[in-house]
Amino acid sequence: MAAVASGLYVGVRCRLCLTLTGQWTGLCGKAPSRFYSGSATLPKIEGANVTGIEEVVIPKKKTWDKVAVLQALASTVNRDSTAAPYAFQDDPYLIPTSSVESRSFLLAKKSGENAAKFIINSHPKYFQKDTAEPHIPCLMPEYFEPQIEGISEAALKERIKLKKVRASVDMFDQLLQAGTTVSLETSNSLLDLLCYYGDQEPSADNHFQQSEKSEELEEAIEENNEKSKKAGHQFGVTWRAKNNAERIFALMPEKNSHSYCTMIRGMVKHRALVQALNLYTELLNNRLHADVYTFNALIEATALSMNEKLEDKWNKILELLKEMAAQKVKPNLQTFNTILKCLRRFYSFGRLPALQTFREMKAIGIEPSLATYHYIIQLFYQHENPSKGSSLIIYDIMNELKGKKFSPKDPDDDMFFQSAMRVCSVLRDLELAYQVHGLLNTGDNWKFIGPDHRRNFYYSKFFSLLCLMEQIDVTLKWYKDLIPSVFFPRSQTLIDLLQALDVANRLEVIPEIWKDSKEYGHGFRDALKEEILMLMARDRHPPELQVAFADCAADIRSTYESQDARQTAPDWPANALNYIAVLFLRGGRIQEAWKMLGLFRKHNKIPGNELLDEFMDSAKASNNPAQAIEIVKLASAFSLPVCEGLAQRVMADFAISQEQKEALRDLTSLTSDSDSDSDSDIGEGK
Amino acid sequence: MAAATLPAWLALQPAARTLRAFCTAVSPATRSAIPSPRTAGRTSRYERPLRRKALPPRTEKMTVDLDWPSVYPVAAPFKPSAVPLPVRMGYPVKRGVPMAKEGNLELLKIPNFLHLTPVAIKKHCEALKDFCTEWPAALDSDEKCEKHFPIEIDTADYVSAGPSIRNPKARVVTLRVKLSSLNLDDHAKKKLIKLVGERYCKTTDVLTIRTDRCPLKRQNYDYAIYLLTVLYHESWKTEEWEKEKTEADMEEYIWKNSPSEKNILETLLQIKAAEKNLEVNKEELLGTKEVEDYKKCVVSLKNEGDNEETLSQYKESVKKLLKLM
Repeated sequence: MAAVASGLYVGVRCRLCLTLTGQWTGLCGKAPSRFYSGSATLPKIEGANVTGIEEVVIPKKKTWDKVAVLQALASTVNRDSTAAPYAFQDDPYLIPTSSVESRSFLLAKKSGENAAKFIINSHPKYFQKDTAEPHIPCLMPEYFEPQIEGISEAALKERIKLKKVRASVDMFDQLLQAGTTVSLETSNSLLDLLCYYGDQEPSADNHFQQSEKSEELEEAIEENNEKSKKAGHQFGVTWRAKNNAERIFALMPEKNSHSYCTMIRGMVKHRALVQALNLYTELLNNRLHADVYTFNALIEATALSMNEKLEDKWNKILELLKEMAAQKVKPNLQTFNTILKCLRRFYSFGRLPALQTFREMKAIGIEPSLATYHYIIQLFYQHENPSKGSSLIIYDIMNELKGKKFSPKDPDDDMFFQSAMRVCSVLRDLELAYQVHGLLNTGDNWKFIGPDHRRNFYYSKFFSLLCLMEQIDVTLKWYKDLIPSVFFPRSQTLIDLLQALDVANRLEVIPEIWKDSKEYGHGFRDALKEEILMLMARDRHPPELQVAFADCAADIRSTYESQDARQTAPDWPANALNYIAVLFLRGGRIQEAWKMLGLFRKHNKIPGNELLDEFMDSAKASNNPAQAIEIVKLASAFSLPVCEGLAQRVMADFAISQEQKEALRDLTSLTSDSDSDSDSDIGEGK
Repeated sequence: MAAATLPAWLALQPAARTLRAFCTAVSPATRSAIPSPRTAGRTSRYERPLRRKALPPRTEKMTVDLDWPSVYPVAAPFKPSAVPLPVRMGYPVKRGVPMAKEGNLELLKIPNFLHLTPVAIKKHCEALKDFCTEWPAALDSDEKCEKHFPIEIDTADYVSAGPSIRNPKARVVTLRVKLSSLNLDDHAKKKLIKLVGERYCKTTDVLTIRTDRCPLKRQNYDYAIYLLTVLYHESWKTEEWEKEKTEADMEEYIWKNSPSEKNILETLLQIKAAEKNLEVNKEELLGTKEVEDYKKCVVSLKNEGDNEETLSQYKESVKKLLKLM
């Protein structure tokens, strides 16, 4: 029965009818998860008139699985482009406004869950009541302490199962001291445990943080190397010599191939590469066979070893592959992916072998995963240098991938879309980008977009490409669709969008973009604000638009002011002051424009010449000689060379009194004096 | 830029995975990544970090032709920021208007059907058509359904949000059948009706059996069918002691051997005796038309009760019988 999450009780009536003939046929209008006992027989009702009834054909009942109805209903709805991702509370106050915030909100949620799980697991006796029907095992407390006491193999097995490294090693030693032999299987599983964790205790906090930690490290490195997609995480050698694993390995009376294999894999995982290769030769000497996972590890070991030339490494890998074939071990997807991953280090030398590997993979019949294509893209487009002439392999790849649906097969599957979009952005090819995006939206492929920062990277690149290459209407539609429900734009993305608007001459959208930028937390990015102001102030526009721009400028000014208030050394960029003043003038806010002039002196920034001209025009329009003189005073205060020209204009255009003329001449003489004193060239140039 | 350094900082302190990291990351409590959030403490005027401002509601971004079932795909509480309608609800203060939708608890309390607009229902039905089979072509009228499938079973399923999916009310099974579709003769029908008692409705001729004594629906269904079977068979049998059925047990009035018959016979005999007409034959007397008529009226009066029609018919028949007209 479908459990709809609602507080309502919904009763569904079902009509079940029976025929007169005594057969059980149920006409069910809902999921037939119930069936009635076939043993209750309906007696023949005597005298039933069977002849003369026409044939009633009851169609066969359809069956479906438990979630089929829900999936069918889900297919009728699409993504809501105004809503934040469903994990957040849908309230204007609680929706995150930047990617930092969204990450911290999700972490907060997860940490709450972890804290609850931790409490439940630490005090299991308080959480025994179970009201859930049917029983939900994952909500019950888990037991992390070993229950079996005493020294026995069963106790050892239990500790291995609970992943207690130290305790199981101690138990093993105790068993050996007591003289009991430990079976090969148990020793192997102990070796597995030790090699997997590298002889260190798994993170004591809890079992759900382990993977997060390694993911964090990986992401930190990824972010630092965002532009250059260099391979690999250098863990550093964490395999201590003569640690417990090696000791126990030496103590084991009989070793089978599983023991060797697990040791080799552990060594490679913890970067004890030389020992791994040595152990492999020992394995061969004992005439044992390695399995495919061990071969994968060995290939990785060969590629990571430091001191050899590329051709030697490649030859060694080829030898390993030959041995694999000789031992009749079939390669799997991981084998080829490992080879391709290692080839990345070989730079351009690795291109031909990569293609050979790929063809081999296809020939054997192994379906490549997204990670395969990711490595190939990395190899061929490693350095972003389109002038060198990039290969066209991305087009072949996209053609091959069209319409395919993938399932997760390799941990690196989620890096494909990021690298593909990066290549599209480098090649400046919008069609290709649409193809990649189409692939992302096929079936379940959206799951491969990866964690937050990768998704942001992908969409930032995609959107920047759209701004660059696509028509403005389509770009604006994408803007509304993607932002902010899919990703939060960086200020650079917004600047790209503004430039696209500029090219398409759609500057009236700018106030809206500014409003959105404030929402996404870019209200304090100087570069963005200057770009906006510059675009608005550059040309003259029709009056309503001018008013809208003036409002926007006032808004930006208030952000500067609030920024001011919080800093001891206020700092307004000169350009911003210029633009804001111009916009106020043109938008009809004369008073505020004059206030801006005052700010110039306060912040000690020089007003531009065109600005002063415009102020003069506005003073003339309002026929206010006092203001005109103000301007000249300001110009002279900054010792601007244009001061004289302004003074002359004042005298020509305005009706001023004699003292004012005197004052003006003084001012101009001051300036010209100081000019001639300091630099005669400028005075002459004027 | 602060935005870029913050995640790296978070990453490099893996131990701070818990509340500590999240606290310090959000502690400026401002929406934007201000370049120098820590200088908030230095200036004397603005020591308190700025309060987080709420975003404008989503309704401002909604266009007129948006896909509403995508905004409310499932039953969800009323979200004033997501519903672009200017609804008001609540008892107004004097000379006021009902409260607006923001923060309105009344709108939250009531169930809403924003997820089931006609457009959404149409889409759902389209999607669910794949799960349905066709209606049999031969059953194109109610009578035919009655004829082929006389027994009707009613069950109810209950769905709710909660830890348990079981609901004890779901075990009830109701079986309805018209007695006319069962093969019963007069005696069997009367016996069946006596056996079931209240479960039979005379006006609609429907026998309703409602079972809930077993814990599972399946078991209750089997029990109901079993009951029907047993009733049917039992009503066809005739027991020894049924012969002792008295008049008080009779469901309807029968003229034969009734006191009314005897009375009228006596009366008629007395009339005949008064007329010095001694050769009378009881059967002949009873066979006359007036007596037949009288019998019919009495039967209808007794069976159907007193109403204008029956009483007037009785009056007429008595008059005729006693030759009073």
